[in-house]
Amino acid sequence: MDTDKRLDALTKRLDYIKDIFKSNENANVTMLSSELGECKQSRLKNHLQDLDRALTRLEDLFSFLEAKLEKELTPMDRVRIVRHPQRICLNDILENVYDNYTELGGLGENSIDPAMVIAQACIARRVGNKVVNQPVMVIGQEKGHGQEFRNGGSVKPWGNAKALHYMKVAQAEGIPIHTYIFTPGSYPIEDYPGAAQQIAKNIYEMGQINVPIVAVISEGGSGGAEAIGLADRRLMLSHGYYSVISPEGAAAIEGNPRTGNRVSEALIASCAKKLCITAEDNLRMGYVDRIIHEPVLGARPHNYDFFRVLRSEVIRATNEACLSVKRVKFFKAMAIRRKRTQDGKEIFMRWALSNGARKRLTEKRHSKFRELSTSAYMDNRSLMLKLGTALQSTAWSTKSWLLYDLIGRGARAAKQGVEGIQAEVLQVKEKACSLIKKDNDSDPVGNNISREARDKILCLSSPAQQGACLEDGTWKYRSPQSIIDRTFSCPNSAEEGCLDLWGPDLFGDFGGVCITCGHHFRMEYQWYLYNVFNYADGFEFNSGIEAANPLDYEGFDLKLDEVRKKTGLRSSCITFETRMDGINAVVICIAAPFRGGSIGAAEGEKIIRAAERAQRKQLPLIAYVHGTAGIRIQEGTHGVLQMPRCTMAVRRYMDAGGLYLVVYDTNSYGGTVASFLGCSPYQFGIRSSSIGFAGPRVITETTGIKVPPNYHNAWKALARGHIQGIWDRREMSKNVQQSLLTMGGRNLYYR
Amino acid sequence: MYSGEHRVLIANRGEIAIRIARACIELNLSFSCVYTEADRHSGHVRFARENGGSKSLYCISSYSDANEIFSVADSCGATAIHPGYGFFAEDFRFARRVAEREKPLIFIGPSWWIIRELGDKINTKRLARSLGVPTIPGSDKPIYNELEAVEFADSLFAFQKEQGFKASAIMVKASAGGGGMGIEEVTDPDEFRSVFRRIRNYSKRQFNDEGVLIEQRIYGFNHLEVQIVSERSGQKHVHFGTRNCSIQSSGNQKRIEVAPGFASEDIHYIFNATSVLDCITSHSLSMAQEVSYDNVGTWEWIVTPRGEPFLMEVNTRIQVENGVSAAISSISGQGKVDIVREQLRLGLGADIGYSQHDISLNGLALEYRIIAENPDRNFAPWVGTIERFGWVAEDWLEVFTQVPTDCEYEIPTEFDPNLALAIVHGDSLEQVRKRGIEFLDGLELRGVDRAGLQLQSNISYLKEKTSIILEF
Repeated sequence: MDTDKRLDALTKRLDYIKDIFKSNENANVTMLSSELGECKQSRLKNHLQDLDRALTRLEDLFSFLEAKLEKELTPMDRVRIVRHPQRICLNDILENVYDNYTELGGLGENSIDPAMVIAQACIARRVGNKVVNQPVMVIGQEKGHGQEFRNGGSVKPWGNAKALHYMKVAQAEGIPIHTYIFTPGSYPIEDYPGAAQQIAKNIYEMGQINVPIVAVISEGGSGGAEAIGLADRRLMLSHGYYSVISPEGAAAIEGNPRTGNRVSEALIASCAKKLCITAEDNLRMGYVDRIIHEPVLGARPHNYDFFRVLRSEVIRATNEACLSVKRVKFFKAMAIRRKRTQDGKEIFMRWALSNGARKRLTEKRHSKFRELSTSAYMDNRSLMLKLGTALQSTAWSTKSWLLYDLIGRGARAAKQGVEGIQAEVLQVKEKACSLIKKDNDSDPVGNNISREARDKILCLSSPAQQGACLEDGTWKYRSPQSIIDRTFSCPNSAEEGCLDLWGPDLFGDFGGVCITCGHHFRMEYQWYLYNVFNYADGFEFNSGIEAANPLDYEGFDLKLDEVRKKTGLRSSCITFETRMDGINAVVICIAAPFRGGSIGAAEGEKIIRAAERAQRKQLPLIAYVHGTAGIRIQEGTHGVLQMPRCTMAVRRYMDAGGLYLVVYDTNSYGGTVASFLGCSPYQFGIRSSSIGFAGPRVITETTGIKVPPNYHNAWKALARGHIQGIWDRREMSKNVQQSLLTMGGRNLYYR
Repeated sequence: MYSGEHRVLIANRGEIAIRIARACIELNLSFSCVYTEADRHSGHVRFARENGGSKSLYCISSYSDANEIFSVADSCGATAIHPGYGFFAEDFRFARRVAEREKPLIFIGPSWWIIRELGDKINTKRLARSLGVPTIPGSDKPIYNELEAVEFADSLFAFQKEQGFKASAIMVKASAGGGGMGIEEVTDPDEFRSVFRRIRNYSKRQFNDEGVLIEQRIYGFNHLEVQIVSERSGQKHVHFGTRNCSIQSSGNQKRIEVAPGFASEDIHYIFNATSVLDCITSHSLSMAQEVSYDNVGTWEWIVTPRGEPFLMEVNTRIQVENGVSAAISSISGQGKVDIVREQLRLGLGADIGYSQHDISLNGLALEYRIIAENPDRNFAPWVGTIERFGWVAEDWLEVFTQVPTDCEYEIPTEFDPNLALAIVHGDSLEQVRKRGIEFLDGLELRGVDRAGLQLQSNISYLKEKTSIILEF
């Protein structure tokens, strides 16, 4: 009987190994396979003792070869480990790491989103003679062991909403949050709210959740991971991966996506390698704080030792997070630092924080993320310039404080006082005048009207005010498309009967808008810079920060050079200061021609600096998204980290009383919309733009759902509550002005 | 300028297409006509078939599809396009495309930037004011601010009171509107504010622009026009007198036009009619000079019952009623003038060759627009087949029509309903009236619609109105 069990166990081990190394025929695997086969064959013939010996030998061989295989694991093998149904899942962790737990917001299949599991758990600690239960909020994606309803850990928007809700509960209760990231990515549907909307909201809120957050990453796929991943301590399982996109997704983009052919396994594997997705890579780049070592070939539910390690690691991380903001540390800090986790005994400390500590915690979280990925872009500014910028920014904060807070407040009060006195004087004067005038009131004033009034009616008045865009009835910037003698067909001509439009009319006079149906043809980003934002070269800042190839992604340098030459841009993001109708503002323009308007470390840094600059100078901040394809996949985790980084920066800006306005044009998808763009309370779409989390093709590929062609259009986004309005391109300047005057921001310089 | 042989593409239909084609023949130019399926029996198609030679007739799907017009122009090898009136005549974009496409053509009409400048009523008004040309009292730019608007309206009411009007009224218009949309009359100053808000909201909804214009309402005015002609240089301008187009249908469509604008010898006006006509011609000429107007055009004026002229707008095209001005004009004493021919000749770059001194204006002329409609039922159009159409030829009479006189003709429904223009010339008002009635009496126009009902026409209306022409 015992031998059968042992044989079964070995068969399972072999199956698992085969699953992991499936495609590439490995000599070791073949050997194991044949050895096991032989052993099974000879089982009935041989004596029990012989068999026992043979089995022991085989088991040793398995262990030896597993250890050997472990050493030569490729990134793609790790991806397969993480996705294997035998991989540990959140429920295993809840059972084995925590001492007691209650699942919240649903149970098993009966949940608003079974892919997101939330539980209030306890860690029981013995302190002296007492047992102390320390409650934590456990939040994480649940992949299950192959159950269909878990949706592979792909969380729907309402699942993320549930997570956010319980984070706030944890905040109210003052207990730490442990998040476990087991997701290949978020489920890319648009609903009420859409995937991008909810993730943006999660990241936005998590930046200011003032209880310690510890994240454990097993499978960290892009937006889905970030939705619960913004943490004070980020741990990573040694066989996990953390990346901007699944290797298959990257391969689909690398390969020719148009043909619809399946991309080859080799390409997927090479993408997995190039993306630097492993735990070691992420630790080296600083995106995770520690690696938790798993047993060979990955942790499976029966690896009880591993759960012990995991338990002490999360306790330690939580301790560290708390300790880092506590004022009184004494020896505990030293002890925690010195203590080896393998000991299995952790230092006990309370995880409740004082109000001051909570404030310091969010502050620390901000600076932690602010420091990340600062080496992943090229900073071509000279040393003097850098120094100057640093000095300048301090000067600005001092100046705006002096100007708007100190003097401004006084001046405003004085002005109001004077106005009051003037009004009083006027009252008295009128009263006096009416007393004197009473007698000759019957005398008609005469039929003659004043000369001024007559002139106004009959003569030429001063010229009408013109908007920022139009100068003598023509646009300041004319699209190069407007000088070609050709006609353009409106895509709606079949339904709306639009006539073909001549290029110079369409792109010159009509601003690229079909005059029959209002369809907005694609327009260059320069059109907006000059016609809406009064762009002037000298007022661009941080143009020296350039997109680079931080992962040395093969072939990407060439592509970058090419796009630099073609567009004349150094990154997809242009940040500048401008003055529109008497109001100064900081504008961030994300230009689609540069790598699809994708955001990498350089762009992220520029956006953060723009937000900081706007905050210092108390200026409104406008993000004009000419088009964005999301996070730049070739930068891997460097890119994905821009989601929390930029979101935290704009959040700080908004919290400081600024006005953050986002305007989408053409196509905006991906992690950018799901983070710093999607979190603005003032988002608008230009007509005929599309806004969403994943493009229609990606949705169909990942979920099998066929989406209608208008699924992402601006009207749908408006109906979903993602954007607040739809603007006509020709009236954008007017609308921006209106927004600056009416929306947000108690702390703008012109208020 | 192009020195080879010209071919003119006539991008229009009906009688104006025939007149242009005829002018082309007189000037030794080849021409091409276009027509739509509904127009296949129209006179201009027949004229082109009979007189145009090869490449002179193309069937298109719509007269207002520029792309189709240009593909015809390229395939027939046209060098110039005459837009006629209506359709593309006042579309500066079309004119610009004609001139600026890769294979440029000549646009027979003013240059596109002039069409653009004068096509905008507000701009025209501002231009007029800057030259001291009288315009309707009121604002010359959109007003956005309510306080400003109320102040403006008050002073406009006061102004009318000062002028001695018994009932003063102002018009509130959406500046982006037109064709009677978003326009309202205010007679009570207290009502102004609510009307202003209504129009502003309407305008914002409808045109996405909140601008509102405020003007004096003028009752019982006469509608006068000045015919201006210039060569391409834009430096030499002449006029061919004035026209009075005050007899209009209830939808403000002209029915009878008379030249000259007033008959000061036959009718007594309470104001000095001659000096009003002089005033509007000289103002029109000075404006044409100022903008370097470079083809034919019409300055439209309204004259109040007290004889004050105000410039209304400029039509940068040949007009339907150009024939009445031509009928009373002669250059250096030589026969009749043809303004369509002049337009074509000057449009292609010829020198004008005469000055204002060489132009003499003699007698009077009137033009009837003969239309199948019921003047008693709000000028409702009649649709059916014309069985017989004919008139008595006279040497004082000219009839322009696309309706064939020798066969049946079904009136197409999608175009403007003019059947024919009849121009009657005479030496005195009395004679013109008499001849006009004589012509109308001799006019034969019969037809039947699908329900078997007899054709209805505005002949009785024209007869009735003939007795009051030029009276004010």
